[in-house]
Amino acid sequence: MSEILIKNASVCDPAQGINCEAMDLCIRDGKIVESVSENAKVIDAGGRLAMAGGFDGHTHSAGKINVGRFINPNDARKNLVPGLSGQVARTEKTRAQVGYNTPNTYAIGYRYAKLGYTTICEAAIPLLAARHTHEEFKEIPILDKMGLSLFGSNWQVMEYIRDKEPEKLAAYIAWGLKASRGYGVKIVNPGGGEAWGWGKNVSGLYDPVPNFDVTPAEILMGLAEANERLQLPHSVHVHCNNLGKPGNYATTIETMKMFEKVKPSRDRQSLHVTHVQFNAYAGTSWRDFETGAPMVSDYVNGADHLTFDLGQVIFGPAVTMTADGPVEYANSRMLHEKWSNQDVELEDASGVVPLFYSPKSFVNAVQWAIGLELALLVKDPWKVMFTTDSPNGGSFVNYPEAFTYLMSAKKREQVISGFSQMALDRMVLPGIDRELDFYELAVMTRSTQSKIYSMPEKGNLKVGSDADIAIYDLIPGQVDPSAEHEKVKKAFSGTAYTLKDGEIVVKDGEIEATPKGRVYWVNAKVPETVDTAMQKDIDFKFKKYYTVSKSNYMVEDAYLTKPVEIDTEGVF
Amino acid sequence: MQVVKLSLKKANKIPIEADNVNPDNFAGKTKEEIEAILVWYGNGQCPLGDLFNVEVEGSDSVENTKIVIEGDVSRVKRIGQDMSAGEIEINGNVDMHCGSNMRGGKITINGDADSWLGCEMKGGEITLNGNAAYYVGSGYRGESCGMRGGKITVNGDVKDYLGEHMCGGEILVKGNAGLLPAISNNGGTITIEGSATMPASEMKSGTVIIKGETSDLLPSYKEDGTEEVDGITYRKFVGDVNAGGKGVLLIK
Ligand SMILES: [Zn+2]
Repeated sequence: MSEILIKNASVCDPAQGINCEAMDLCIRDGKIVESVSENAKVIDAGGRLAMAGGFDGHTHSAGKINVGRFINPNDARKNLVPGLSGQVARTEKTRAQVGYNTPNTYAIGYRYAKLGYTTICEAAIPLLAARHTHEEFKEIPILDKMGLSLFGSNWQVMEYIRDKEPEKLAAYIAWGLKASRGYGVKIVNPGGGEAWGWGKNVSGLYDPVPNFDVTPAEILMGLAEANERLQLPHSVHVHCNNLGKPGNYATTIETMKMFEKVKPSRDRQSLHVTHVQFNAYAGTSWRDFETGAPMVSDYVNGADHLTFDLGQVIFGPAVTMTADGPVEYANSRMLHEKWSNQDVELEDASGVVPLFYSPKSFVNAVQWAIGLELALLVKDPWKVMFTTDSPNGGSFVNYPEAFTYLMSAKKREQVISGFSQMALDRMVLPGIDRELDFYELAVMTRSTQSKIYSMPEKGNLKVGSDADIAIYDLIPGQVDPSAEHEKVKKAFSGTAYTLKDGEIVVKDGEIEATPKGRVYWVNAKVPETVDTAMQKDIDFKFKKYYTVSKSNYMVEDAYLTKPVEIDTEGVF
Repeated sequence: MQVVKLSLKKANKIPIEADNVNPDNFAGKTKEEIEAILVWYGNGQCPLGDLFNVEVEGSDSVENTKIVIEGDVSRVKRIGQDMSAGEIEINGNVDMHCGSNMRGGKITINGDADSWLGCEMKGGEITLNGNAAYYVGSGYRGESCGMRGGKITVNGDVKDYLGEHMCGGEILVKGNAGLLPAISNNGGTITIEGSATMPASEMKSGTVIIKGETSDLLPSYKEDGTEEVDGITYRKFVGDVNAGGKGVLLIK
């Protein structure tokens, strides 16, 4: 039995409505408990800020990131955030680290832990490549991990939707999650990945997918129905159509509206829209491009069925990586950049393109502003998950910098002062004076995640929750985040302590221990008769089309370190 | 003037990474101080003095510091990396990455150089009195910009990928070049007095002059009259059309 008593912490835990209150935290055997014995090891927090471990609900950290690594070997030596990037030699406790946007797996674990993060959700697992994702998970130390499996351009999915076979569709989703050991349903540019196989894209929700006679709207509604039928812990996680195109805010709002009629099967949202920054553009071309954030946030403020994440832009080099194949082709052509393009057989497309966000580019400046506008114009932080869609908008190691944008209008002014008049005319950010406090920041970086993924043991400090805790070198009340944003950034860049399951993994910004994290996946129960009927259909697909056999396709238990199976009961 | 003489105590099989061996790091230092400088030897670090005989004459500023390396150092990499001023003379063959990211000063090599000579160089001058291997004046893997400034003169031949991703500066090769010199160039001037094969593919801008024979000229170049340089008339080609390039390729 191991016990720890964290004394005199200034606890910020929105799940319990606790806002920077002086408290002690008790830990026994990796869980938060009511009290501990006198033998407990004592950590004196000295009045410093304590939160539950951070939870990145949408990051590209295993799988596709590897294409980013080999397309960008020069990333290995980039060191734009000293201490959290670049080449770091091996130590007694840590393995060698390289990279910035696409660090090696070990660096991903260490760097998230230094920021006080203890759980990550990989945002895109192609079923066919799931084994690779899990191989990378295995080598990401410290963090608990989960991933979302891609279903938005999948042949079997589109056929079942076209043929109106919702039960078989649900059975296929359940099987796909099991095959990929995934946690939830990701939909990227529904139908667009398949159209890209023909060099095309879909232009909106009602544009039929070539050869399948279904529309993106039908794919979204079909998958949402299956998602809720299976009572999955997360809602569908949607990367909308028309991403990255001026005027796309209309498609985004249309998509959100469509989900008003979806009834969630659990106490959570019925839709999560991801990296909305890339999908909140107004204008009709890159010439008259402007922010669409006010329209999107207006809608979100009046809706209560959805959550979203930001996809905040960080100035400097980034690497875009997505299953949205046509978008990456457009990026590479427009920016004259390197391009990787992949066809995931019957399932999806994918692409990777490096790019550079410059404050001097009016488009990039407006993109930067849109992310912040969304975060600040949407009144309820429980609808918002903070992300940079790492590394699409920028590497996660910049989160501390981005937090200061959210917490300090002064800091924002500093950045905005470098923008052109043209950029300023196309954004509304300069007129926003809202500044987040630690409580709201904790909501966007922990509590929302716990809620939207139905993970009650994560992202909070309730008795019974996992003892994943971050203590930052800040004393709330003695620091003014608005004026002292540099201090805030420094504190969030390296915790005083990060605890993972009650073990000290970071102390004074340095790695102390590198335990292995868990992998969460969802096993949804489906009636045997429905499953058997569905298997027949996919057996045919494997025989006729796939380059691999079904037995070589499934992620086996051997791939998972400390797996946690979440069971759900499908309703048929 | 400060002169520092280095010679290997014995030939090394395991490579030495001598990125600390430059005038910036030696200027004003005593023999003992220089001997104590750590260099990578295989996967560990050890003092320079364990590997090299060190002699020091005088003490002076970086500009007035000259390093003379005697003997074969063909397993010593990164000599002169990042140097901003002063001089290095190498009397022997040298390993990869010599003069990498150099910003000023002068390197003279009386021998052959392995790959990546003067890669990502930004200023200064390198004179090679011998042959060079691959990627002279190129960019690091994945970078879009190689050499940006300064001058590299090779009095012998070079192998493939001369000046890959070059964005500025000047390279002069008195001998022959291998495959694909000036690949993906975006600026600067390359002159090859000998022959070259498939030059300037994907060039966006810059000038490439080939005085000798050109083999396999790419079809993605448009002929555009003639141009005279230093009294010699060349056929002028513009491209690479595939990359939307406006580079100038002058050949006989
Ligand atoms: Zn993403």
